Amino acid sequence: MSHCTTCTTNHPTIADYFSENLYTWCTNCGNFGIHSAVKRALVAEAIRPEHAVLCFDIGCNGNGSDKIGGYRFHGLHGRVLSFAAGASCANTNLPVIAFAGDGGTFGEGISHFIHTIRGNYNVTFIFHNNMNYGLTQGQASPTTKMRMHMNTSPDGPTSDTLNAMRLALTMDVSFAARSFSGDVKHMTKTIQAGLQHKGFSFIEIFQACPSYNKETPHEWYQQRVYDVNEKVADYDTSNKLWAHELAEDLEEKIAVGVLYQNKNAIPFMDRQENRQGFTTDLVSEVISYESVAQQLFDRKR
Amino acid sequence: MQDNNSNPLPRLTIKVSGASGQGINSVGEVIAKSLKEAGFYTFGYREYPSLIKGGYSSHQVDFSDQPLLAPSEKCDIMITLGRAALHQYLPSLDTNGILIHCLPHLNFNAAEQKFITDNNINIIEVPAQEIAVKVGGLAVMTNVVLVGMLWQMLGIELAPIEEIIRKEFAKKPKVIDANIACLQAGYTNAEPVLPKVSISFVPNIALVNDALISGNEAIGLGAITAGVRAYFAYPMTPSSSLLSYLSNVYHESGMLVKQLEDEISVAQATIGAMFMGTRALTGTAGGGFDLMAETVSLSGMTETPFVCIIAQRPGPATGLPTWTSAADLNIAVYSGHGEYTRLVIAASDIETCYTMIQHAFNYAEEFQIPVLVLTEKQIAESLFQVADLPPAVPIQRHLLSNEEAQKVTPHDRFKITESGISARWLPGQSPATYNGNSDEHLEDGSLTEEAATSKAMYDKRIRKEKLLLDKLPQPTLLGFEAAATVFVGWGSVKNTVIDCMIEWNKHNPQAQIAYLHYDYVWPLKTDAFNELVQQQKRLILIEQNAYGQLGNLITQSTGYLFKEKILKYDGRPFFVEEVWAELEKVHTS
Repeated sequence: MSHCTTCTTNHPTIADYFSENLYTWCTNCGNFGIHSAVKRALVAEAIRPEHAVLCFDIGCNGNGSDKIGGYRFHGLHGRVLSFAAGASCANTNLPVIAFAGDGGTFGEGISHFIHTIRGNYNVTFIFHNNMNYGLTQGQASPTTKMRMHMNTSPDGPTSDTLNAMRLALTMDVSFAARSFSGDVKHMTKTIQAGLQHKGFSFIEIFQACPSYNKETPHEWYQQRVYDVNEKVADYDTSNKLWAHELAEDLEEKIAVGVLYQNKNAIPFMDRQENRQGFTTDLVSEVISYESVAQQLFDRKR
Repeated sequence: MQDNNSNPLPRLTIKVSGASGQGINSVGEVIAKSLKEAGFYTFGYREYPSLIKGGYSSHQVDFSDQPLLAPSEKCDIMITLGRAALHQYLPSLDTNGILIHCLPHLNFNAAEQKFITDNNINIIEVPAQEIAVKVGGLAVMTNVVLVGMLWQMLGIELAPIEEIIRKEFAKKPKVIDANIACLQAGYTNAEPVLPKVSISFVPNIALVNDALISGNEAIGLGAITAGVRAYFAYPMTPSSSLLSYLSNVYHESGMLVKQLEDEISVAQATIGAMFMGTRALTGTAGGGFDLMAETVSLSGMTETPFVCIIAQRPGPATGLPTWTSAADLNIAVYSGHGEYTRLVIAASDIETCYTMIQHAFNYAEEFQIPVLVLTEKQIAESLFQVADLPPAVPIQRHLLSNEEAQKVTPHDRFKITESGISARWLPGQSPATYNGNSDEHLEDGSLTEEAATSKAMYDKRIRKEKLLLDKLPQPTLLGFEAAATVFVGWGSVKNTVIDCMIEWNKHNPQAQIAYLHYDYVWPLKTDAFNELVQQQKRLILIEQNAYGQLGNLITQSTGYLFKEKILKYDGRPFFVEEVWAELEKVHTS
């Protein structure tokens, strides 16, 4: 975590990601741990703030957009994956990380989730799942359990609970992992694995929400989670059906760690037939192509 | 025969009509190209329904020895391949018009019979399908036989059109010979005897080298020239043909051209790519743009440049999907919550389609604002004839150099300045990282809810409009500058007005007119307009919508109330006869 002494590159430290802005999250909010893990993972992967592109959805997680260094964009509710997808196409040299909650991802933006997975954009997606809309004061989200009594659904939601991981696996996501906000070390390791993955990485983080989700605090997860990569004998991360099976249980024994990874999945920009052979990125190609236009025009003569 | 028709302008008009799926558009394009090869100016106008097979559609080619920008309402010759189309389009035949068809046992109702008699319409049934089969062609080549017959009537040499057909079918060499045989059979067919159409226009050999191009293709070429490296869109007529065109040429351009899941994601991917620092574009129609409105607002707040093309068609809702309109000016000007600086530009012809998209990116990047470029189905999908592309607009990005970017602090990114414009540098370029924040923010993008700062930032973003307005060109006064009567408009209206105005001013030297055209629609330049008001000109608003939306913006900005308005909103463009009739009306009132 200190400056590298053996090479000329400027290895980042946690301090490089420091922001003077004060946190505005509730005491014991899971976001503190997630923020810490994100910074640690970026530093461990030797990504300097000026090379990090952090894209935030609207929600409690997004209120952290100015509490961390890096090039950040704090956009519109539900849209972060589409924004990050476009960003990742434009400059493949900079790691793009997207952050969003369960409301934005599976309420407002569920179609973007599905299609971003299909495209396998090179985006690391940190999915904050606290099972409610925290910033608007505790309404039910698609991942809220039906027995939970929420603001605007006082008798509990009447729609079935969405299992985010199951949906992601069904969509053939190329990297799927889980962690929980009470274990910074585990989150760091998991986010690092996501950053190393080429293509879309879906990292579901079960997040404590002390204000509006009394049902599943850190202690609740602490008692139930197990790391499949450590605790399941011979667990094979390339076995999608196995991942499906372990992802099912959200009540008793909750699987975390890297559940699935397809190392052969081709990232979005590498899929573009007309971009084969390009050694440059879209950001460095903004020059006049007048002669190309002229040639195309001449075909119309 | 052009002396006998009712068209006030020196031109002949050929309409090919039939059902969707009968290749009407290809035949129309072949005719237009062939007339161009024969040394004439052409203009191709398409009408088609929102369905894939059946209904009626048409491709109309006007041609002349003078440049053409707009269609006639009436045609002199119509080739019809389908019954529904024949009945639909019969009334579009001009006095003494000729109708060639190959539809046996045609029945006309009483009204149609009267129209035919009153207008002296010459209806000729030709056994085109039998001829096609007899010379070894297929039934689908009926239309080629008809084109051969058309060429016989026009008395134009066959060689150029043979060449075009060879080129058209270059990828299907097996059918070339049969098509040529059909063409020749139609050209030499003796029975029934076809009337001769005399063309008094003098062909100009220089026109052979002209290009035929649609507005959407010109926008595509403009985007390529402007250094646009990504185009994200969702299909919606009349913007879809831009997406198709850019896809078809992406091997040549290297552009990333992607259809995404909806207009919402398309707009977001575009602004995401722009945030990173490439030039990305999106395009849609009014309905799709409604879904993009939140991103326009996001662009305004985060000062991330965003360029979107709105190809207009009639609404509300699904409206008339394949027809034309200019009724989305209000959503271009007012869409997106909150208040912020934006620029609205309207293209009208090939030159403006090509150059405006380039200007759009320069303005978007200089002012860090959303720029909306309006076109219309009439512009996007008509086939214009032009000699060349206009010169490219130099790319101006207004980004910090790498060296400059090392000297800034995060607070420079959204620094409150006199002009409202702050320095812009890109992710990866400098250790001074910032937050593009959709929440109200401080100069480095950090969130704030403090009253004075919020207002100062709000003012900063609004203030950019003043410098923008200073930089924008005035609207253009076309025609006779000293004219007492000045028409005022934007978009495709210009094309019909110009076609008519040139001829009108020639024939009415004492009653010449002028036309004030707005390429840059919002924010609105008012000097040139106010000058006309002071000179007590008779000002007549002409727009392709019902509210007179530009007129209302002018009223809002100048206080001037238009006393005369010509407004059309039935999905059809202004035809030359209509504008001509308006000129006559204005002249006598």
